Amino acid sequence: MSIEIRNIRKGFGDFVALKDVSFKVETGELVALLGPSGSGKTTLLRIIAGIEVPDGNDGAILIHSADTTSISFRDRRVGFVFQHYALFRHMTIFENVAFGLRVRPRRLRPSEKVIKEKVNELLKLVQLDWLGDRYPSQLSGGQRQRIALARALAVEPSVLLLDEPFGSLDAKVRKELRLWLRRFHDELKITSVFVTHDQEEALEVADRVVLMNEGRVEQVGTPEEVYHHPANAFVYNFLGNVNLFHSRVEEGKVYLGELPIDLPAESAHDAKSALVFVRPHLLEIEHQRNGGDNFRAKVTHINAAGPLVKVDLLTDWGAPVHVEISHERYLSLGLKREDEVFVRPRERKVFVESRGEIDGSEI
Amino acid sequence: MELITATIGNSRSGTGALTEPRWVRLVLISGALLFLGVFLILPLIVVFTEALKKGVEVYIESVREPDAAAAIRLTLIAAVIAVPLNLIFGVAAAWAIAKFQFPGKSFLITLIDLPFSVSPVISGLIFVLLFGLQGWLGPWLSEHDIKIIFAVPGIVLATIFVTFPFVARELIPLMQSQGSEEEEAARTLGAGGWQTLWRVTLPNVKWGLLYGVILCNARAMGEFGAVSVVSGHIRGYTNTIPLHAEILYNEYNSTAAFAMASLLTILTLVTIALKAFIDWKSQIEVRQVPEQALAEA
Repeated sequence: MSIEIRNIRKGFGDFVALKDVSFKVETGELVALLGPSGSGKTTLLRIIAGIEVPDGNDGAILIHSADTTSISFRDRRVGFVFQHYALFRHMTIFENVAFGLRVRPRRLRPSEKVIKEKVNELLKLVQLDWLGDRYPSQLSGGQRQRIALARALAVEPSVLLLDEPFGSLDAKVRKELRLWLRRFHDELKITSVFVTHDQEEALEVADRVVLMNEGRVEQVGTPEEVYHHPANAFVYNFLGNVNLFHSRVEEGKVYLGELPIDLPAESAHDAKSALVFVRPHLLEIEHQRNGGDNFRAKVTHINAAGPLVKVDLLTDWGAPVHVEISHERYLSLGLKREDEVFVRPRERKVFVESRGEIDGSEI
Repeated sequence: MELITATIGNSRSGTGALTEPRWVRLVLISGALLFLGVFLILPLIVVFTEALKKGVEVYIESVREPDAAAAIRLTLIAAVIAVPLNLIFGVAAAWAIAKFQFPGKSFLITLIDLPFSVSPVISGLIFVLLFGLQGWLGPWLSEHDIKIIFAVPGIVLATIFVTFPFVARELIPLMQSQGSEEEEAARTLGAGGWQTLWRVTLPNVKWGLLYGVILCNARAMGEFGAVSVVSGHIRGYTNTIPLHAEILYNEYNSTAAFAMASLLTILTLVTIALKAFIDWKSQIEVRQVPEQALAEA
């Protein structure tokens, strides 16, 4: 079932957590809410779940086109998986999963036999049916996460919400579990939204990504769209490693040292300065100045361990540059520290600063 | 790394440079034992030897004597009313303070602590000033023929007031440390407010709650100051065990006085035993679990 978020605003005291957020999650989608901490993503998830209430009267959460803003938890049918799992510590795993069925009003409550079947079925689904008698503290982080998911699914939710589902796990388990979640979602096809601050996680798992910053939605799109066609400087900067050059605009061009770069066609003509972004793997290192489309720099550090060689350089005008080149290229160049080289950006993205303000420029 | 293990080994065996000389240890340990003996163990022994000095029969007789029996009954009545009420107030207050944000919260916490910070005699006097014949509500009460001061209701009220903080004080830090995520989870799974309280919140604090109730009960039965002011010391009617013990002692009837005192002492010993049991029980629940989890990994 689809989820529509309409004009949601929320503040805590003086702090504005969400500034008029709207977007739509389509039926069966797996959507990531991605942003740095403090961007309002968890608050938004809690509002969708109904744990928090939005400010004002014009905001609404529509699940399957029905307004749920004033509907109680019981009738919302939203599954919520908490960041720290929030399993009931005094209950066995079986009772944890059965909880949502046991607290139903008497006339809707299934019989003991049905509860037992249902819980065992869910535990099998998350591949942990052998843990039913244990207590939450006897489980590993990844196991707890899957039990929390099974518990949320027991109430047959129409949508599933996950808050930082892999946040408190170690790196290896994280990777396994996020692939598992993707397969799991493909099987169940339940509309899901998950919150994360890890761009790699969001790009790898989600059908679409909602990028949030300072309580606003910066961009909504497929992982490919947001990565290759970032809407603004914040998105470009947030998704992946990037070199950022703060440059002045002269006669309609922005300069990297002596290298002139065209401004984007739609940009303001009165622009005074601009930000130039180049991803580390889109920079080329050369010994000779072949043509004019490069700038001079000095090698300060080389890290050759790993699939790509990471080279740190310092430009003429004192800006640090980070470049990633293949190992073969590194060997054929014969790079050493203190080498004077030329750096050529193969691709770059220019965002014009208007009146000294630009989104995400501080990051 | 080898160096570190060596140091640890040394301090464990107790012969390393970190240990005090033998004579210092002896002085400190015997000092502590002497202090415990004089101030804690000796009084306990005195109470029971004095109570049993004239034999077991006299002891039983002084406990069964009508005025003494009345005092025991009144103490039990006061506790039976005060403890459940403070249990309900305490859970409600702790729930509100630990799980919700609202203006005036710190004021409420201070208010709950008030009975701890006010001298019990003063709190007794406050009730006299409120409900006594010359008090604010006195004329109205005597018009309607309701007796509070120098009667059982006054004793119950004073007991409730003095023992008010015990349950709440025990629960607030515990509930705060547990946060409200489990309650939120219960709500998203469709549980109502009562279901959340009974199925999630209370089971999570059961040992703390029991401990609070035991302390509350011990104080309710042993309270002297506040109860003394509102009681009026009418033998057989408004005397609780501690008040009766004092009267008997002042009449140089020390065997009977210590017999009364021994009842309270037994209560204390039972309380301590229960507390130790609860500590042990909750420790097990906390401890066994991570060990098993480790074995699993």
